[in-house]
Amino acid sequence: MNIAVIGANGFIGTRLVEMLHLGGSHHVVPVVRRASGLALAARFAVDWRIGDALDVASLTAALAGCDAVVHTALGDTRQIEAMPDMLCAAAAAAGVRRVIYVSSASVHGQAPDPGTDEDSPLHCRHAMDYNNAKVRAERAFFRGCRHHGLAGFALRPGVVFGPRSRWIADLAADLRNERAWLLGDGDGICNTLYVDNLVEAVIQGLTAPAEAAGPYLVGDAERITWADFYRGAADAFGLGHVVIHRLEAVPAFRRSAQEQISRVVAGRAVQTLLPVLPTRLKTVAKRLTVSLAAPVVAMDAWQLPERPRPRITQELALLQQCRWQLPSERAALHLGYRPVINFATALHRSAAWLAFAEGTS
Amino acid sequence: MSPPLPIVLVGCGAVSQLFYAPALRALEAAGIVRVAALVDPAEPARRVLHAAFPHGQSAAALPEVTALRDSLAIVASPPRWHAEHTLAALARGWHVLCEKPMAASPAEGERMIAAAVAADRVLAIGHYKRFFPSSQSLKFLCGPEGTLGPLQTFTIAEGGPFNWPAASPTFFRRAETPGGVLLDIGVHVLDLLLWWLGAPTDFSYADDAMGGLEANARIALRFGAVTGRVQLSRDWATAQRYEFNFAGGRVGWTVNDANGLTVCFAGAPHALQGTLRRRDGTAAATNPQSFIDQIRHIAGAVRDRTSVLVDGREGLRALQLIEACYARRQLLPQPWLSPLETTAAQFRALPS
Repeated sequence: MNIAVIGANGFIGTRLVEMLHLGGSHHVVPVVRRASGLALAARFAVDWRIGDALDVASLTAALAGCDAVVHTALGDTRQIEAMPDMLCAAAAAAGVRRVIYVSSASVHGQAPDPGTDEDSPLHCRHAMDYNNAKVRAERAFFRGCRHHGLAGFALRPGVVFGPRSRWIADLAADLRNERAWLLGDGDGICNTLYVDNLVEAVIQGLTAPAEAAGPYLVGDAERITWADFYRGAADAFGLGHVVIHRLEAVPAFRRSAQEQISRVVAGRAVQTLLPVLPTRLKTVAKRLTVSLAAPVVAMDAWQLPERPRPRITQELALLQQCRWQLPSERAALHLGYRPVINFATALHRSAAWLAFAEGTS
Repeated sequence: MSPPLPIVLVGCGAVSQLFYAPALRALEAAGIVRVAALVDPAEPARRVLHAAFPHGQSAAALPEVTALRDSLAIVASPPRWHAEHTLAALARGWHVLCEKPMAASPAEGERMIAAAVAADRVLAIGHYKRFFPSSQSLKFLCGPEGTLGPLQTFTIAEGGPFNWPAASPTFFRRAETPGGVLLDIGVHVLDLLLWWLGAPTDFSYADDAMGGLEANARIALRFGAVTGRVQLSRDWATAQRYEFNFAGGRVGWTVNDANGLTVCFAGAPHALQGTLRRRDGTAAATNPQSFIDQIRHIAGAVRDRTSVLVDGREGLRALQLIEACYARRQLLPQPWLSPLETTAAQFRALPS
């Protein structure tokens, strides 16, 4: 099969291209938005193409001759919501009948209720805009598949980690800078998915019966807590004795001034107006936003240097409160999905990649 | 004062728009050069530069250009065209500043040098980092009068996710670009190493090209008693640092910081980080000023018939070393690949 990978320069797309190409069972067609995104795909002698996931004509041309398409492209919330319509329309126009959309387990929130599975109703009242955007995007995806008669599979991975992932690179930086933290004993469920296992789910989705189309939760085989993930990663990075902060509670998150402005800017009305506003006005507004976000704090000269503080993001605070391991049973039953890499090997390979990237291997 | 040197800018892509246009504007204002022609088959790219230099002739191809003999052609087209455009410019009696890498192969570079000698024209290569005060200071420290004693080891890490605003994907087509990150970023690194330390006595090379162009490369080099490692990437953010360990201390340089160095004297409790000044105390050149200095230096060499810092022969050395690296190429181990993928990668990495 000729498999187009949209977003081939991202962390998931890059590994997908590697595995499909080196696996040899399919011809992979990496699709990136700009020429500058070709650095990794161009390591191989493959038929890469330039195609904009937000432009139907451009994407249709990029999908020509493909039998299936896997969508892994990222974007801001507005782009996330807009992409599925473009994807389905372009796939239909190019004659591609099977579409795999990499959605996210965050459609259920970062800490889903116990018992959550693919049948659990979705809503758009999550605290994080990203989650709501993914819910709307997935709905648009299935609507588009129905409209165009496509076999659509939406995969909902949790914490996807592996080579080139932020979960590995950022965690290593936080551990080294003593900014990593765990909530309580770190016994929240991490819902990890090693990227190779996600690719395995994609590969199964490429050949699954068309009647199996639908949403699928996918995860690693093991039940991994945040303490397992952090301590295992620290050991794998050779940082076994670093400080990991323990938090008894996470702070309440309120949207900062910059976040509130960003939400307004991302709104349809402002986005419609933006192209006609003078560049100078936009530049001044941007500078003002940045200065609001980073107010100048007067430093007292008579103080000791600050000790590293935990880096607490809203996403991580919510994720660490998770008490439910999302099930992969439906993917196993209908797609034949089985995780091909165990957690220990996954951490080992991730750490080996980090050493490669840092030039220490 | 001499009249401004006429400039024929060949290639109106990203490097011309981001680097040559502002540098030439500054040199035009100083009366040193005057843009005579802008050449590019792509009209939109040409239009951008023509807006900056409306007095310059806008031409789709070199034969259309009316500039006179003794002009300076700046060849900033994609590397596969460097030789053809340079030879055409020399045949017109123009001097040439050719962007790096000087050619797609050393054989092409040799032809360019021979043509420049035969035409008695200047052929300069755009290794502008040699004009950084910081790289000149490292040259001094690596030399026989270096005050930190002999160099012992070095590590270089340069590059990050590819974000050059290339208008077309030529950077990633093997047919149009003979190399990946080694040719793109590595040519600067190797040029500096050759300038600082001379030719390596031994080296090994590995990259991650698997039928295409490499995104990551590693070189281990030996220069007599000095050993060093180079890491290049257009995949992931590297440390962007040069670290040189001399007997008398360690010197660090951040990539593209034209006038800054960090020095830690051997045994000293602290390192010193500072901005370079000229000996008279005035500010040393910044990165853009170094780029301007390069063109000013070449304009002076054309006018006064003096030699240039990086002539064709100098530019060729880095290209020859790159070709030697590719000839010794090993597949870079990628330890996240499965054993089956590793076997497939090794097979695909074999020369076709």
